[in-house]
Amino acid sequence: MVEFEPKILAFCCNWCSYRGADLAGISRIKYPPNVRIIRVMCSGRVEPEFVVKALSSGADGVLVLGCHIGDCHYIYGNHRTAKRMAILQRLLGYLGIEPSRLRLEWVSAAEGSRFSKIVTEFTSEIKRLGPNPLKNITLQNPTILRDEKR
Amino acid sequence: MIGNIRDLARKWLEDKEVDAIFALREQNGYLAPYLFTNVDKLGSMEISTQYRLSYTCRPSKENILSLMQRKEPSTRIGIVARGCEERALIELAKRSQIDLGKTKIMGIACTQEEAIECKCERPYPDNLVLGQKVEGVSQDENVDALLNKSITERLAFWRYQFSKCIKCYGCRNACPMCFCKDCKMEQGVFTETGWLPPEIPMFLFIRFSHISERCIWCGECEKACPVDIPLLTLFKLLRRDIKDLFDYEAGMDMTQEAPLLTTLDEMPMKEELASGI
Ligand code: SF4
Ligand code: SF4
Ligand code: FES
Repeated sequence: MVEFEPKILAFCCNWCSYRGADLAGISRIKYPPNVRIIRVMCSGRVEPEFVVKALSSGADGVLVLGCHIGDCHYIYGNHRTAKRMAILQRLLGYLGIEPSRLRLEWVSAAEGSRFSKIVTEFTSEIKRLGPNPLKNITLQNPTILRDEKR
Repeated sequence: MIGNIRDLARKWLEDKEVDAIFALREQNGYLAPYLFTNVDKLGSMEISTQYRLSYTCRPSKENILSLMQRKEPSTRIGIVARGCEERALIELAKRSQIDLGKTKIMGIACTQEEAIECKCERPYPDNLVLGQKVEGVSQDENVDALLNKSITERLAFWRYQFSKCIKCYGCRNACPMCFCKDCKMEQGVFTETGWLPPEIPMFLFIRFSHISERCIWCGECEKACPVDIPLLTLFKLLRRDIKDLFDYEAGMDMTQEAPLLTTLDEMPMKEELASGI
Protein backbone atom coordinates (compact mmCIF):
# COMPACT_ATOMS: atom_id res chain seq x y z
CA MET A 1 0.00 0.00 0.00
CA VAL A 2 1.26 3.43 -0.83
CA GLU A 3 1.85 5.54 2.21
CA PHE A 4 -0.45 8.53 2.55
CA GLU A 5 1.41 11.65 1.55
CA PRO A 6 -0.39 14.65 2.95
CA LYS A 7 -0.59 17.99 1.23
CA ILE A 8 0.32 20.75 3.60
CA LEU A 9 -0.10 24.42 3.00
CA ALA A 10 2.05 26.86 4.94
CA PHE A 11 1.27 30.55 5.12
CA CYS A 12 4.56 32.27 5.91
CA CYS A 13 4.91 35.91 6.70
CA ASN A 14 7.30 37.78 4.49
CA TRP A 15 9.51 39.24 7.16
CA CYS A 16 10.34 36.32 9.42
CA SER A 17 8.95 32.92 8.59
CA TYR A 18 9.47 33.06 4.84
CA ARG A 19 13.06 34.06 5.48
CA GLY A 20 13.28 31.26 8.01
CA ALA A 21 12.15 28.84 5.32
CA ASP A 22 14.65 30.42 2.97
CA LEU A 23 17.40 29.94 5.50
CA ALA A 24 16.44 26.29 5.87
CA GLY A 25 16.85 25.97 2.11
CA ILE A 26 20.13 27.85 1.94
CA SER A 27 21.54 25.87 4.83
CA ARG A 28 20.40 22.65 3.12
CA ILE A 29 18.38 21.54 6.11
CA LYS A 30 16.08 18.69 5.08
CA TYR A 31 12.34 18.84 5.59
CA PRO A 32 9.45 16.86 4.10
CA PRO A 33 8.47 17.90 0.57
CA ASN A 34 4.78 17.81 1.51
CA VAL A 35 4.68 21.45 2.36
CA ARG A 36 3.69 24.16 -0.12
CA ILE A 37 4.47 27.67 0.96
CA ILE A 38 2.37 30.74 0.35
CA ARG A 39 4.00 34.00 1.25
CA VAL A 40 1.84 36.64 2.90
CA MET A 41 3.03 40.02 4.07
CA CYS A 42 2.11 39.32 7.68
CA SER A 43 0.57 36.39 9.50
CA GLY A 44 -2.19 38.87 10.33
CA ARG A 45 -3.16 38.71 6.67
CA VAL A 46 -4.27 35.11 7.06
CA GLU A 47 -8.01 35.20 7.34
CA PRO A 48 -9.81 32.22 8.84
CA GLU A 49 -11.45 31.82 5.43
CA PHE A 50 -8.03 31.13 3.89
CA VAL A 51 -7.57 28.20 6.20
CA VAL A 52 -10.99 26.73 5.50
CA LYS A 53 -10.59 27.32 1.79
CA ALA A 54 -7.29 25.48 1.88
CA LEU A 55 -8.82 22.59 3.78
CA SER A 56 -11.84 22.32 1.53
CA SER A 57 -9.77 22.56 -1.63
CA GLY A 58 -7.63 19.59 -0.74
CA ALA A 59 -5.03 20.51 1.84
CA ASP A 60 -4.72 18.00 4.67
CA GLY A 61 -3.17 20.46 7.05
CA VAL A 62 -2.50 24.17 7.27
CA LEU A 63 0.45 25.83 8.96
CA VAL A 64 0.35 29.51 9.80
CA LEU A 65 3.79 30.86 10.53
CA GLY A 66 4.63 34.36 11.69
CA CYS A 67 7.21 36.41 13.56
CA HIS A 68 7.57 35.88 17.30
CA ILE A 69 5.31 38.05 19.43
CA GLY A 70 6.94 41.47 19.63
CA ASP A 71 8.82 41.02 16.36
CA CYS A 72 5.98 41.51 13.88
CA HIS A 73 6.94 43.97 11.16
CA TYR A 74 3.53 45.55 11.59
CA ILE A 75 3.88 45.55 15.37
CA TYR A 76 0.57 43.97 16.36
CA GLY A 77 -0.27 41.86 13.29
CA ASN A 78 0.59 38.59 14.94
CA HIS A 79 -1.36 39.46 18.07
CA ARG A 80 -4.46 39.35 15.92
CA THR A 81 -3.34 36.09 14.33
CA ALA A 82 -2.84 34.45 17.69
CA LYS A 83 -6.35 35.32 18.85
CA ARG A 84 -8.02 34.53 15.58
CA MET A 85 -6.40 31.15 15.17
CA ALA A 86 -7.26 30.13 18.72
CA ILE A 87 -10.93 30.83 18.01
CA LEU A 88 -10.72 29.21 14.59
CA GLN A 89 -9.26 26.01 16.01
CA ARG A 90 -12.21 25.64 18.30
CA LEU A 91 -14.67 26.40 15.54
CA LEU A 92 -13.06 23.75 13.35
CA GLY A 93 -13.47 21.25 16.15
CA TYR A 94 -17.18 21.96 16.45
CA LEU A 95 -17.61 21.67 12.70
CA GLY A 96 -16.01 18.22 12.74
CA ILE A 97 -12.53 19.00 11.45
CA GLU A 98 -9.66 17.99 13.72
CA PRO A 99 -8.33 21.24 15.22
CA SER A 100 -4.79 19.90 14.94
CA ARG A 101 -5.01 20.19 11.16
CA LEU A 102 -4.33 23.84 11.80
CA ARG A 103 -1.20 24.91 13.58
CA LEU A 104 0.15 28.33 14.41
CA GLU A 105 3.86 28.76 15.11
CA TRP A 106 6.32 31.61 15.35
CA VAL A 107 9.46 31.25 13.26
CA SER A 108 12.06 33.99 13.00
CA ALA A 109 14.32 34.66 10.02
CA ALA A 110 17.20 33.06 11.88
CA GLU A 111 15.34 29.86 12.72
CA GLY A 112 15.84 27.71 9.64
CA SER A 113 16.18 24.58 11.72
CA ARG A 114 13.08 25.43 13.71
CA PHE A 115 11.16 25.77 10.47
CA SER A 116 12.29 22.35 9.35
CA LYS A 117 11.48 20.85 12.76
CA ILE A 118 7.96 22.28 12.71
CA VAL A 119 7.28 21.06 9.18
CA THR A 120 8.61 17.60 10.00
CA GLU A 121 6.55 17.31 13.16
CA PHE A 122 3.43 18.65 11.53
CA THR A 123 3.76 16.32 8.55
CA SER A 124 3.95 13.27 10.76
CA GLU A 125 1.02 14.52 12.81
CA ILE A 126 -1.08 14.90 9.64
CA LYS A 127 0.04 11.48 8.43
CA ARG A 128 -1.26 10.08 11.67
CA LEU A 129 -4.58 11.91 11.24
CA GLY A 130 -5.02 10.70 7.68
CA PRO A 131 -6.63 12.46 4.73
CA ASN A 132 -8.74 15.47 5.48
CA PRO A 133 -12.41 14.42 5.31
CA LEU A 134 -13.56 17.85 4.28
CA LYS A 135 -12.11 17.62 0.80
CA ASN A 136 -14.46 14.77 -0.17
CA ILE A 137 -17.41 16.80 0.94
CA THR A 138 -16.42 19.81 -1.05
CA LEU A 139 -15.56 17.73 -4.08
CA GLN A 140 -19.09 16.39 -4.13
CA ASN A 141 -20.39 19.89 -4.02
CA PRO A 142 -21.90 21.03 -7.32
CA THR A 143 -20.12 24.39 -7.22
CA ILE A 144 -16.73 22.76 -7.17
CA LEU A 145 -17.68 20.06 -9.68
CA ARG A 146 -18.68 22.72 -12.11
CA ASP A 147 -15.32 24.37 -11.67
CA GLU A 148 -13.61 21.11 -12.46
CA LYS A 149 -15.62 20.60 -15.63
CA ARG A 150 -14.64 24.00 -16.92
CA MET B 1 -46.81 45.15 30.32
CA ILE B 2 -47.41 47.06 27.11
CA GLY B 3 -49.60 49.46 29.06
CA ASN B 4 -46.75 50.29 31.42
CA ILE B 5 -44.38 50.74 28.51
CA ARG B 6 -46.75 53.15 26.79
CA ASP B 7 -47.23 55.10 30.02
CA LEU B 8 -43.51 55.39 30.61
CA ALA B 9 -42.94 56.37 26.99
CA ARG B 10 -45.55 59.09 27.38
CA LYS B 11 -43.83 60.31 30.53
CA TRP B 12 -40.41 60.38 28.86
CA LEU B 13 -41.79 62.33 25.93
CA GLU B 14 -43.80 64.74 28.05
CA ASP B 15 -40.93 65.39 30.46
CA LYS B 16 -38.69 66.00 27.43
CA GLU B 17 -36.28 63.34 28.66
CA VAL B 18 -36.09 62.15 25.09
CA ASP B 19 -37.18 63.68 21.80
CA ALA B 20 -38.48 60.44 20.34
CA ILE B 21 -39.10 56.81 21.24
CA PHE B 22 -37.99 54.01 18.96
CA ALA B 23 -40.26 50.99 19.24
CA LEU B 24 -42.55 48.71 17.29
CA ARG B 25 -45.82 49.98 15.95
CA GLU B 26 -48.83 48.05 14.79
CA GLN B 27 -50.41 49.18 11.60
CA ASN B 28 -53.03 47.23 9.65
CA GLY B 29 -52.15 44.15 11.66
CA TYR B 30 -48.43 44.33 10.89
CA LEU B 31 -45.56 45.30 13.14
CA ALA B 32 -42.79 47.58 12.03
CA PRO B 33 -40.17 49.76 13.70
CA TYR B 34 -41.39 53.28 14.25
CA LEU B 35 -40.10 56.47 15.78
CA PHE B 36 -42.74 57.88 18.09
CA THR B 37 -42.56 61.62 18.55
CA ASN B 38 -46.24 62.29 19.13
CA VAL B 39 -47.77 61.13 22.42
CA ASP B 40 -51.15 60.61 20.75
CA LYS B 41 -49.73 57.83 18.61
CA LEU B 42 -48.44 55.83 21.59
CA GLY B 43 -51.59 53.69 21.56
CA SER B 44 -50.25 51.79 18.59
CA MET B 45 -46.93 50.93 20.28
CA GLU B 46 -46.39 47.17 20.59
CA ILE B 47 -43.83 44.64 21.74
CA SER B 48 -43.28 41.25 20.22
CA THR B 49 -40.93 38.32 20.41
CA GLN B 50 -41.69 37.34 16.86
CA TYR B 51 -40.60 40.64 15.53
CA ARG B 52 -38.13 42.62 17.51
CA LEU B 53 -36.57 45.92 16.62
CA SER B 54 -34.43 44.91 13.75
CA TYR B 55 -31.37 47.03 13.84
CA THR B 56 -30.27 46.58 10.29
CA CYS B 57 -32.42 47.13 7.28
CA ARG B 58 -31.69 45.51 3.97
CA PRO B 59 -30.90 45.90 1.17
CA SER B 60 -29.41 49.29 1.94
CA LYS B 61 -27.54 47.53 4.78
CA GLU B 62 -28.02 50.50 6.99
CA ASN B 63 -28.56 50.21 10.64
CA ILE B 64 -31.82 52.03 11.29
CA LEU B 65 -30.63 53.63 14.48
CA SER B 66 -27.29 54.72 13.07
CA LEU B 67 -29.05 56.10 10.01
CA MET B 68 -31.35 58.16 12.22
CA GLN B 69 -28.48 59.31 14.38
CA ARG B 70 -26.46 60.36 11.39
CA LYS B 71 -29.34 62.43 10.03
CA GLU B 72 -30.32 63.92 13.36
CA PRO B 73 -27.22 63.78 15.55
CA SER B 74 -28.66 65.90 18.32
CA THR B 75 -31.93 63.99 18.78
CA ARG B 76 -32.17 62.04 22.00
CA ILE B 77 -33.85 58.73 21.27
CA GLY B 78 -35.47 56.45 23.80
CA ILE B 79 -35.41 52.77 22.85
CA VAL B 80 -37.62 49.99 24.13
CA ALA B 81 -35.16 47.12 24.44
CA ARG B 82 -35.18 43.57 25.74
CA GLY B 83 -32.02 41.98 27.11
CA CYS B 84 -30.77 40.87 23.73
CA GLU B 85 -31.60 44.19 22.14
CA GLU B 86 -29.68 46.03 24.82
CA ARG B 87 -26.68 43.78 24.28
CA ALA B 88 -26.90 44.47 20.57
CA LEU B 89 -26.95 48.20 21.22
CA ILE B 90 -23.90 48.01 23.46
CA GLU B 91 -21.97 45.92 20.97
CA LEU B 92 -22.95 48.23 18.11
CA ALA B 93 -21.86 51.27 20.09
CA LYS B 94 -18.49 49.63 20.78
CA ARG B 95 -18.05 49.24 17.07
CA SER B 96 -18.93 52.89 16.39
CA GLN B 97 -22.21 52.12 14.68
CA ILE B 98 -24.38 54.09 17.08
CA ASP B 99 -23.94 56.67 19.80
CA LEU B 100 -25.26 55.36 23.09
CA GLY B 101 -24.73 58.74 24.73
CA LYS B 102 -27.67 60.09 22.80
CA THR B 103 -30.01 57.22 23.65
CA LYS B 104 -31.94 56.22 26.70
CA ILE B 105 -32.70 52.55 27.02
CA MET B 106 -36.07 51.48 28.36
CA GLY B 107 -35.07 47.98 29.38
CA ILE B 108 -37.89 45.47 29.62
CA ALA B 109 -37.67 41.96 31.02
CA CYS B 110 -38.91 38.95 29.09
CA THR B 111 -41.37 36.54 30.64
CA GLN B 112 -40.44 32.96 31.52
CA GLU B 113 -42.30 31.62 28.48
CA GLU B 114 -40.51 34.02 26.20
CA ALA B 115 -37.15 33.07 27.70
CA ILE B 116 -37.86 29.38 27.14
CA GLU B 117 -39.05 30.01 23.61
CA CYS B 118 -35.79 31.80 22.78
CA LYS B 119 -33.62 29.45 24.90
CA CYS B 120 -32.28 32.72 26.22
CA GLU B 121 -29.56 32.60 28.86
CA ARG B 122 -30.10 36.16 30.01
CA PRO B 123 -33.66 37.32 29.34
CA TYR B 124 -33.30 40.74 30.94
CA PRO B 125 -31.30 43.89 30.25
CA ASP B 126 -28.77 45.43 32.60
CA ASN B 127 -30.78 48.58 32.57
CA LEU B 128 -34.03 47.02 33.75
CA VAL B 129 -36.81 49.58 33.88
CA LEU B 130 -39.99 47.55 33.53
CA GLY B 131 -40.91 43.98 34.34
CA GLN B 132 -39.62 41.20 36.59
CA LYS B 133 -36.32 39.43 36.04
CA VAL B 134 -36.74 35.72 35.36
CA GLU B 135 -34.11 33.01 35.30
CA GLY B 136 -32.42 32.33 31.98
CA VAL B 137 -32.33 28.94 30.30
CA SER B 138 -28.83 27.53 30.59
CA GLN B 139 -29.50 24.15 29.01
CA ASP B 140 -29.58 23.78 25.25
CA GLU B 141 -30.09 20.24 23.99
CA ASN B 142 -28.55 21.07 20.61
CA VAL B 143 -25.30 22.15 22.24
CA ASP B 144 -25.13 19.06 24.43
CA ALA B 145 -25.96 16.80 21.51
CA LEU B 146 -23.18 18.31 19.40
CA LEU B 147 -20.62 17.96 22.18
CA ASN B 148 -21.53 14.30 22.58
CA LYS B 149 -20.79 13.59 18.95
CA SER B 150 -17.44 12.34 17.73
CA ILE B 151 -15.49 14.49 15.33
CA THR B 152 -16.64 12.45 12.30
CA GLU B 153 -20.25 12.56 13.43
CA ARG B 154 -20.02 16.31 13.80
CA LEU B 155 -18.83 16.73 10.24
CA ALA B 156 -21.59 14.47 8.95
CA PHE B 157 -24.13 16.40 11.01
CA TRP B 158 -23.08 19.80 9.69
CA ARG B 159 -22.74 18.50 6.20
CA TYR B 160 -26.38 17.49 6.29
CA GLN B 161 -27.45 20.71 8.00
CA PHE B 162 -25.52 23.01 5.68
CA SER B 163 -26.71 21.18 2.60
CA LYS B 164 -30.24 22.30 3.47
CA CYS B 165 -29.29 25.96 3.16
CA ILE B 166 -31.16 27.76 0.42
CA LYS B 167 -28.92 30.80 0.61
CA CYS B 168 -31.71 33.15 1.51
CA TYR B 169 -29.33 35.27 3.62
CA GLY B 170 -32.05 35.40 6.26
CA CYS B 171 -29.61 34.62 9.04
CA ARG B 172 -27.31 37.41 8.00
CA ASN B 173 -30.07 39.91 7.46
CA ALA B 174 -31.66 39.24 10.82
CA CYS B 175 -28.39 39.49 12.70
CA PRO B 176 -28.00 42.79 14.53
CA MET B 177 -24.23 42.37 14.50
CA CYS B 178 -23.93 41.95 10.72
CA PHE B 179 -23.53 45.43 9.34
CA CYS B 180 -20.77 45.38 6.73
CA LYS B 181 -21.66 47.05 3.46
CA ASP B 182 -19.62 44.56 1.44
CA CYS B 183 -20.47 41.08 2.61
CA LYS B 184 -18.05 38.30 1.85
CA MET B 185 -20.93 35.87 1.57
CA GLU B 186 -22.03 37.70 -1.58
CA GLN B 187 -18.74 38.32 -3.26
CA GLY B 188 -17.92 35.00 -4.79
CA VAL B 189 -14.28 35.11 -3.77
CA PHE B 190 -14.64 32.36 -1.24
CA THR B 191 -18.02 30.96 -2.05
CA GLU B 192 -19.44 31.09 -5.53
CA THR B 193 -22.65 33.00 -6.01
CA GLY B 194 -25.69 31.61 -7.76
CA TRP B 195 -25.33 27.96 -6.75
CA LEU B 196 -27.12 25.68 -4.34
CA PRO B 197 -26.30 24.31 -1.92
CA PRO B 198 -23.65 26.87 -1.10
CA GLU B 199 -20.13 25.64 -0.62
CA ILE B 200 -19.89 23.50 2.51
CA PRO B 201 -18.79 24.69 4.98
CA MET B 202 -17.48 27.95 3.56
CA PHE B 203 -20.72 29.86 3.08
CA LEU B 204 -21.91 29.64 6.66
CA PHE B 205 -18.40 29.47 8.02
CA ILE B 206 -17.89 33.07 6.93
CA ARG B 207 -20.66 34.11 9.25
CA PHE B 208 -19.50 31.97 12.16
CA SER B 209 -16.02 33.33 11.91
CA HIS B 210 -16.98 36.97 11.44
CA ILE B 211 -19.56 37.08 14.19
CA SER B 212 -17.72 34.77 16.62
CA GLU B 213 -16.76 37.31 19.27
CA ARG B 214 -19.59 39.76 18.76
CA CYS B 215 -22.57 37.41 18.81
CA ILE B 216 -24.93 38.55 21.52
CA TRP B 217 -26.91 35.27 21.38
CA CYS B 218 -30.23 36.79 20.48
CA GLY B 219 -31.08 33.76 18.37
CA GLU B 220 -32.48 35.82 15.52
CA CYS B 221 -30.44 33.90 12.93
CA GLU B 222 -31.79 30.54 13.97
CA LYS B 223 -35.34 31.87 14.06
CA ALA B 224 -34.96 33.44 10.64
CA CYS B 225 -33.66 30.28 9.00
CA PRO B 226 -36.48 28.76 6.93
CA VAL B 227 -34.85 25.32 6.85
CA ASP B 228 -34.12 25.12 10.58
CA ILE B 229 -30.35 24.92 10.63
CA PRO B 230 -29.31 25.07 14.31
CA LEU B 231 -27.00 28.04 13.82
CA LEU B 232 -27.17 29.19 17.40
CA THR B 233 -25.52 25.98 18.58
CA LEU B 234 -22.16 27.03 17.16
CA PHE B 235 -22.51 30.61 18.30
CA LYS B 236 -23.26 29.49 21.84
CA LEU B 237 -20.23 27.23 21.88
CA LEU B 238 -18.01 29.98 20.50
CA ARG B 239 -19.30 32.34 23.12
CA ARG B 240 -18.27 29.93 25.86
CA ASP B 241 -14.83 29.60 24.35
CA ILE B 242 -14.36 33.32 24.05
CA LYS B 243 -15.35 33.70 27.65
CA ASP B 244 -12.76 31.09 28.64
CA LEU B 245 -10.04 32.50 26.43
CA PHE B 246 -10.44 36.21 27.04
CA ASP B 247 -12.90 36.56 29.90
CA TYR B 248 -15.01 38.52 27.47
CA GLU B 249 -18.72 38.48 26.80
CA ALA B 250 -20.20 40.44 23.95
CA GLY B 251 -22.75 43.10 24.77
CA MET B 252 -22.23 43.13 28.52
CA ASP B 253 -19.78 45.88 29.33
CA MET B 254 -19.49 49.01 27.23
CA THR B 255 -15.99 49.71 28.53
CA GLN B 256 -14.56 46.33 27.58
CA GLU B 257 -13.07 46.29 24.10
CA ALA B 258 -13.55 43.28 21.88
CA PRO B 259 -10.74 40.69 21.91
CA LEU B 260 -10.20 40.67 18.17
CA LEU B 261 -9.93 44.44 18.10
CA THR B 262 -7.23 44.59 20.75
CA THR B 263 -3.66 43.42 21.07
CA LEU B 264 -2.43 40.66 23.36
CA ASP B 265 -1.14 43.32 25.75
CA GLU B 266 -4.51 45.03 25.99
CA MET B 267 -6.51 41.84 26.27
CA PRO B 268 -4.36 38.81 26.89
CA MET B 269 -5.36 35.33 25.94
CA LYS B 270 -5.20 32.57 28.53
CA GLU B 271 -2.02 30.90 27.34
CA GLU B 272 -2.80 27.46 28.67
CA LEU B 273 -5.96 27.37 26.57
CA ALA B 274 -4.40 28.68 23.39
CA SER B 275 -3.48 25.34 21.93
CA GLY B 276 -0.93 25.17 19.15
CA ILE B 277 0.95 28.26 20.22
S1 SF4 C 1 -27.55 34.92 17.73
FE1 SF4 C 1 -27.42 35.00 15.47
S2 SF4 C 1 -28.54 36.87 14.92
FE2 SF4 C 1 -28.07 37.05 17.11
S3 SF4 C 1 -26.10 38.17 17.21
FE3 SF4 C 1 -25.61 35.97 17.21
S4 SF4 C 1 -25.25 35.49 15.05
FE4 SF4 C 1 -26.36 37.44 15.09
S1 SF4 D 1 -31.25 31.61 7.08
FE1 SF4 D 1 -30.82 29.39 6.84
S2 SF4 D 1 -31.26 28.95 4.66
FE2 SF4 D 1 -31.10 31.20 4.85
S3 SF4 D 1 -28.95 31.63 4.34
FE3 SF4 D 1 -29.06 31.43 6.60
S4 SF4 D 1 -28.60 29.26 6.98
FE4 SF4 D 1 -29.08 29.43 4.79
S1 FES E 1 5.20 40.50 9.78
FE1 FES E 1 5.62 38.51 10.51
S2 FES E 1 3.83 38.16 11.70
FE2 FES E 1 3.48 40.22 11.07
